[in-house]
Amino acid sequence: MSYRILIVDDSRAMRLFVRRVVELSGFDASSCIEASNGAEALSVLESEWVDAILTDINMPVMDGEEFLRRLSANDLLRSIPAIVISTDGTGSRMERLLSLGARGYVVKPFAPEDLRLELERTLEVVHD
Amino acid sequence: MTEQLSEALRQSMEEVLEKMFFVRALEEPPEPALSPARGLLARLSFEGDPSGRLTLHISEEAARSISADFLGKDEWEVTAEEIGEVICELANMICGSILSRVESGASFRLGPPRLEESSPDEPAAEEGCVIHRTAVGQGTLTVALQTETPVWTTAARSAY
Repeated sequence: MSYRILIVDDSRAMRLFVRRVVELSGFDASSCIEASNGAEALSVLESEWVDAILTDINMPVMDGEEFLRRLSANDLLRSIPAIVISTDGTGSRMERLLSLGARGYVVKPFAPEDLRLELERTLEVVHD
Repeated sequence: MTEQLSEALRQSMEEVLEKMFFVRALEEPPEPALSPARGLLARLSFEGDPSGRLTLHISEEAARSISADFLGKDEWEVTAEEIGEVICELANMICGSILSRVESGASFRLGPPRLEESSPDEPAAEEGCVIHRTAVGQGTLTVALQTETPVWTTAARSAY
């Protein structure tokens, strides 16, 4: 499946792990783009179009909440589905991020299958 | 509440190891070593309800082994820098998982994990501290959690 996916996480190890899961899920990992925080991701999105965003929340410079706010405030970027990947599985945090425009939420730790299903649901992937 | 926190710590370590590192934790934790193996020590603090700090110690061989599993590399390919990043992420995930189990309804904020390389010291049990140790491959993983305020799980709170 050829989709461009932006992975936003300040942990290089976590970005590599997510990229592996994306690849194992049948997506083309070579078309993944990476950013280490929200500000860097917005900069990437000025010149690159992506089909989905996988973003952490707790990041330096610009955290995931502010990143989601900026996406929602942008007429063009708000159409890109964003899935939050976070260690925070509290109901209040999930509600807040979904209200900010996140289309999905995956709590760490997650099984690779969980992320695959969330990506496919968000991208409305149809299997033959 | 200490029992519930201790159980949350055990469950979180098992879940993180199994789901993200594809490692099954041993049901019977090993006895503490008289001379702890050299390893990595990661610390992070958290704010919320409760606030506190988490200390993680992992032996060098276990750290290399699970880092390779996490990154999808052979053990000889993994650099010291990558191992440090993975161990910080491990501490981050275990702490987040514990707090998600015991949270009061409000969310929490994790501080950045700090790594102390080649520390021979395992976390020592202090007052108000819960600790869990498990075997990982040929090595050992030990995590200690200390909270500054009493912990009330969501279930316990709703009973009042």
